[in-house]
Amino acid sequence: MIRSHRLVAFFFCMAGIVAFSLPAVAQVDRARQIGGKFMCMCGCNQVLTQCNHVGCTTSTAMLKELDQSVARGDSEDVITQGFVQEFGTKVYAEPPKSGLSLVAWVLPSVYLLIGTVLVVFIISRWRSRVLGEPATAGGASGFSAEELERARRRVARDTED
Amino acid sequence: MDVFGSFALLLAFICAVYAFVGGIFAIRTRHPLLVKSVRQAGMATCGLIFIATFSLVYLFFSDSYWVAYVVAHSNRDLSTFYKVAALWSGQEGSLLFWSFLLAIYVFSALFAYRNKNGELMPYVGVVLAGVQIFFLTLNNFVASPFKVLATPGANGALDIFTRADGNGLNPLLQYPEMVIHPPNLYSGYTGFTIPFAFALGALLARYPGEKWIHLTRKWTMIAWCFQTAGVLLGAHWAYAVLGWGGYWGWDPVENASLLPWLTGTAFLHSVMMQEKRGMMKVWNVWLVFLTFMLCILGTTLTRSGIVSSVHAFAQSSIGNWFVGFLALILVVCFVAYVKNRDYLKSENHLDSIISRESSFLFNNLILLVSCIAVLSGTLFPVFSEWLSGSRISVGAPFFNKVNIPLGFLLLFLTGVGPLLAWRKTSKDSLKRNFGRPLVFSVIAGAIAFALGLREFYSLICLTLCLFVVSTILIEFYRGAKVVRSRSGASFAASAVDLTMRNTRRYGGYVVHMGMVLIFVGLAGAAFNKDVQKEMQIGSTLQIGPYNLLLQSFESKPEKNYTAERMVVEVMRDNKPLMMLYPERRFFQTNEQSGTMVAIYSTLQHDLYVVYAGQSPDNQTPVVHAYLNPLVKWIWFGGVIVVLGTIVTLLPNRRSVLALSGAQEPAAAHPMTPTLAPSSITMREGHD
Repeated sequence: MIRSHRLVAFFFCMAGIVAFSLPAVAQVDRARQIGGKFMCMCGCNQVLTQCNHVGCTTSTAMLKELDQSVARGDSEDVITQGFVQEFGTKVYAEPPKSGLSLVAWVLPSVYLLIGTVLVVFIISRWRSRVLGEPATAGGASGFSAEELERARRRVARDTED
Repeated sequence: MDVFGSFALLLAFICAVYAFVGGIFAIRTRHPLLVKSVRQAGMATCGLIFIATFSLVYLFFSDSYWVAYVVAHSNRDLSTFYKVAALWSGQEGSLLFWSFLLAIYVFSALFAYRNKNGELMPYVGVVLAGVQIFFLTLNNFVASPFKVLATPGANGALDIFTRADGNGLNPLLQYPEMVIHPPNLYSGYTGFTIPFAFALGALLARYPGEKWIHLTRKWTMIAWCFQTAGVLLGAHWAYAVLGWGGYWGWDPVENASLLPWLTGTAFLHSVMMQEKRGMMKVWNVWLVFLTFMLCILGTTLTRSGIVSSVHAFAQSSIGNWFVGFLALILVVCFVAYVKNRDYLKSENHLDSIISRESSFLFNNLILLVSCIAVLSGTLFPVFSEWLSGSRISVGAPFFNKVNIPLGFLLLFLTGVGPLLAWRKTSKDSLKRNFGRPLVFSVIAGAIAFALGLREFYSLICLTLCLFVVSTILIEFYRGAKVVRSRSGASFAASAVDLTMRNTRRYGGYVVHMGMVLIFVGLAGAAFNKDVQKEMQIGSTLQIGPYNLLLQSFESKPEKNYTAERMVVEVMRDNKPLMMLYPERRFFQTNEQSGTMVAIYSTLQHDLYVVYAGQSPDNQTPVVHAYLNPLVKWIWFGGVIVVLGTIVTLLPNRRSVLALSGAQEPAAAHPMTPTLAPSSITMREGHD
């Protein structure tokens, strides 16, 4: 009986330790996750959680401030606003998806879109050129489809390497 | 020796001006003596730059502390090894080093083609001399490395004085890789000058056909190889020295080295379309122009202070010179193109969308989009400041989000492209070439998912990597099988034989294989772990399967610095595995410190241990340990890429035999076009 009580007590103790440590672990993870969205302002051009400069007082102070905010239970928006007010928009590790910064996000997709349209246009132009040429018209040249296919395979073989 | 060096540089400048102006007259008059004289002036320019460079190296070795550049970047205790590296550690020296490497290329090109391509070479010589004039102007009049320390004397003249010792080399540069990384990267940057000069020269000369492409292929491959090695060595340096646990932080200077690599890679692919089909002539010329301009832009970003970076040189007005040079190049290229664009009309057309040509077009599209995305992301903070008054940072998360999907598209094309036939790929060919790799990679991806790989990007990357690897291996297998059936040699020997018969094609496959390995390594980053802990002697830290025991902590004075060193025993499954010695070095001369990371590297992962200083509260040493999976694959992949590039530069075996007049045995002719499968038909000189 005593043994089972001890077991229950042990179980509760462990549960208590886990219950107390879980929020701390969650806080650390949250701080790390949010910290990954800011730049260190020491000029190293590294993400805040990755700055490892010897005695970098900037990142130490920023991380301390972040930990305190997370411990207080501040929302990510509040923390972000605090950092932006303190350091300006250059504190963002990635541009926010609003205002002028949205341009940075949109541009790569625009490049890809324009490029794809351009490639498709070039391909279709090259294709239309070849379709318009009488030399490729099998019927007119008097070759059967089979002969044409054989010739095409031979050309492919000769040109491929 | 400083006067000697200065004088050599000034003479080099005069020779370059003569090579440029005389070259223009030589083009107009076609006078053989003038052509020869101009070429020799070009070669003399190079010789004088060599002399100036060696003079500066001598000043470092002789501890000449009256030369400002030597004082700023060296000290008496600096090892010989790093005195060489000091040459390119500052603005002035690195510009001279740039001129030096450029001179090697220019001299080689002028010498190699001294009796060939008489129509083209005067134009090429003028372009090369023009580029040299720009850098020699900087070397002589803007950032001379031979300036001496002097104070105004009593009579108004300057009195030269000598310092007892120098400031020493930046600790971050006192690492073996810094002795080989910048030369590689600079060799890449400067190397692209040769294809640029040939492209512009050919355009100005209206040189017929694809001759300039054939002439510059090797130069481009060499420059690309150096650029690749330089980028990867830089990544390794960042990994091993900066101590933040990563190798690529999308820093502006890192990005600057990637930009010409991307366009250079695009050029190496699209150039095949011009060689094989006479297509994409305009595109290729502009790709070379763009690659060269990006090289100049890269160095502009590094040297001007436009963007902030830990790698950048100090902010200076030299950026204006580069911007002016860039504008001049752009104008010259544009005018040359507009005046001679008729010569660049395509000769061929596209027969089918499913063809090698299309795959190259899309390959170029992805590489260019990636390049422009990286460029605009790098410059966005500058533009945002101009437009809105507040600088918006664009860091690694942005670049990762944008470039990872593009990288996957590129990886997919790496597998698909080489197996598509020129002109048109039939459905049968598609099934034959892609069926097995596709099924294999999808099944392997499904198994990885079932085994618990849930990281989306890593799963996609793994599947694509397996797809590419299987397509490459099948290509080698098919080819080697035919060779083996004819020669009776072993499979491995047959594969080597196959490669040596078409080095360009199979070397290219080796390069692709290396790129796959790099992608595998990059995919591992999703699973990085790290732990930071204050450690007393005897305490332990657990990370992954490793247990780190701090055995001792010592502070030890060395010749050029004082080291704070941890002695860490690494244990796995409670068994001692090895000792690691992470340390931090404090350099008294310049009061800077540097990190020496201790890395235990396996194919599975890297155990990366950093001594992160002492806790400000209780002076306890702090350890930051990382477990980075698959990093070794990146470096291994880089080696494979370089080896593959070297293979592509080798002459085909048949060419060698033809040149030597030897008769190849009949048995070694396994691939007559009628017998060989279409996908392994061999032709010389093409991919």
